[in-house]
Amino acid sequence: MTHPSAQPTNCWDYLACDYGPDSPQPCLAAYDEASNGINRGTNGGRACWEIVGVLSGSEVLAPCAQLQNCLACGFLHLVRSEEGQSFQLLKLARGVSNPEVLQQTIVKVESFMAIHERLRSHFDLNQTIAEITEEARKVTGAQRGSVLLVKGTPPALRGTLQLRGKECEVVIGLDRNTAAGFAAIQNQIVNLRDIYNTHRSSGGPAFSREYDAQFRCRTHSFLAAPIRDSEERVIGVITLANAKKRFFSTDDEWFMKNYATEVALAVEKQRFVQQSISTLRLAAIDETIAGLSHCIKNIAQALRSGSHVIKRALQSDNLQDIKAAWEILDRHIERLANLSMDVLAYDPVVREHSNGGSLNKLAEHVINLFREEARARSIELKLDKGKNVDPARFDAMDIYRCLVNLVSNALDACPLSEGVVCVSTSRTKEKEFCISVSDNGSGIDEKAKEAVSKLFQTSKPQKGAGLGLPTVAAIVNKYDGRMEIDTTPGAGTTFRISFREDLALA
Amino acid sequence: MAPTAKIMVVEDDLDEAKLIKMVLEGEGYEAVCAFNGKEALEKLESERPNLIVLDVMMPEMDGFSFCSKIRSSPENKNVPVIMLTGVAKRIHDTKYPLDGIMRAEADEYLEKPIKTEDLLQAISRLLK
Repeated sequence: MTHPSAQPTNCWDYLACDYGPDSPQPCLAAYDEASNGINRGTNGGRACWEIVGVLSGSEVLAPCAQLQNCLACGFLHLVRSEEGQSFQLLKLARGVSNPEVLQQTIVKVESFMAIHERLRSHFDLNQTIAEITEEARKVTGAQRGSVLLVKGTPPALRGTLQLRGKECEVVIGLDRNTAAGFAAIQNQIVNLRDIYNTHRSSGGPAFSREYDAQFRCRTHSFLAAPIRDSEERVIGVITLANAKKRFFSTDDEWFMKNYATEVALAVEKQRFVQQSISTLRLAAIDETIAGLSHCIKNIAQALRSGSHVIKRALQSDNLQDIKAAWEILDRHIERLANLSMDVLAYDPVVREHSNGGSLNKLAEHVINLFREEARARSIELKLDKGKNVDPARFDAMDIYRCLVNLVSNALDACPLSEGVVCVSTSRTKEKEFCISVSDNGSGIDEKAKEAVSKLFQTSKPQKGAGLGLPTVAAIVNKYDGRMEIDTTPGAGTTFRISFREDLALA
Repeated sequence: MAPTAKIMVVEDDLDEAKLIKMVLEGEGYEAVCAFNGKEALEKLESERPNLIVLDVMMPEMDGFSFCSKIRSSPENKNVPVIMLTGVAKRIHDTKYPLDGIMRAEADEYLEKPIKTEDLLQAISRLLK
């Protein structure tokens, strides 16, 4: 990289801030003479991120760094591209003239940048932790790495470890006798080397060889850094282990400290996301309940007033008022029925299957809704899932309404003891499926059977037959479907409804 | 009891308005309906009601806006108002601006769904 001959841009020029060397209140980067010349800058003008920014290792002082992450700042990238291999990023790299070492440092810091990027986009804590562990392992040259978080009862350091391509569960007690436990309890970095040849100093941290025995591996050097949350509480440790005769350097310690911070950020982000989702859900539920409540109150209001008018009109034989009020009541009863269907439309399973999918899953969902009622009435509720039914094309709301009505009727038809209701699904033709609902009640007589059958022979909406069957009939007719009733007096009834899939979503 | 009194029912739901009108007429009151605050304001001059039964949530002009308008009108400021609301018990938590609510002081608040007897008692009390 060839440097431009002109004086390179300093941060205050790039950001056009008011804290340059000539300002009445210069930023520390502007008058830090000790940093003069780094990356060819004036004072700290081209190393601001490590003096007053997020890589300073202490407090973030610069207003610009308080507003954004230095690693994402265009100025850092500009300096890096201008300086090429001479680029100095960290205090760790200061004074190092070996280009190879500088390059390694850059690679390490790039790993932080990558993690920052992932933290911004990921919501999955386990995945993020796995990535941080992998980055930590790579940049320190360790063979094994793991993040262990304090959880469970009794609280212990728990996490996973990749060993010979397999994921092993690790649980380490929170006690000073293990190196990881020591790091967590003492809230300090533990860096052990030549583990099998060094005797533990009294009271100091020691690697528990039991773990090597447990996982059938050998640890020569071990590094554990405590993970602290924003309130400085230890929430876990990040560990590295090496089987080779190598030790972890102070640079490695520095990086691990920062990887621990990344893990803490990931954990906090996860908590924040969960809390936000929970808050949003509660707000949505609140809003829905408020809307429902308003609607129900209006309906109840009409029912109360209507009932009052009818009572009074009955006393005076005022048929005209009775008729007028009854028509209004009728409309509000319909509103109530529609409202209940609107509520059903919010059922997550119904929404999930709005364009078809698993008929068996929807049937199971309806069965589960009636489970409690069936148990209370000592009725056995069974579901026989057809094997070739799914995936199926259907309108979930319509199928849901049919199932709810038929299962509800079947439960009502059951005898007082030893009732059995069975719902089954099957595929009757290539593009046709069938749902049947049977009970072991007293059956229905011929006259009633004929009345029900008539419902299914017209496309006009029917009213007044009760039992929700007009709803089922309207839906079956809508899809050019069929309904069959098998009934045996004293033995029960089976309703079978078939739907053509090619019309299901028409 | 003032069975000949005229009561204006301001309610955007046609069915509810009609039913309340029927209830009132059944008790011997004369009842007129308006379907929002704006229409009610227009009708005030010609109808001159002795009492107003007023819904809160309405299009065009809500109950609070209507009420604050009549409270600032010299001719109508003393007309008793019964406000029917779904939120009477937590009126200050509603989306309506607080100053509007403060200026729209009704004589009685009844929470929906109201009991018809409560409405009739409130009317009777306010017309005395």
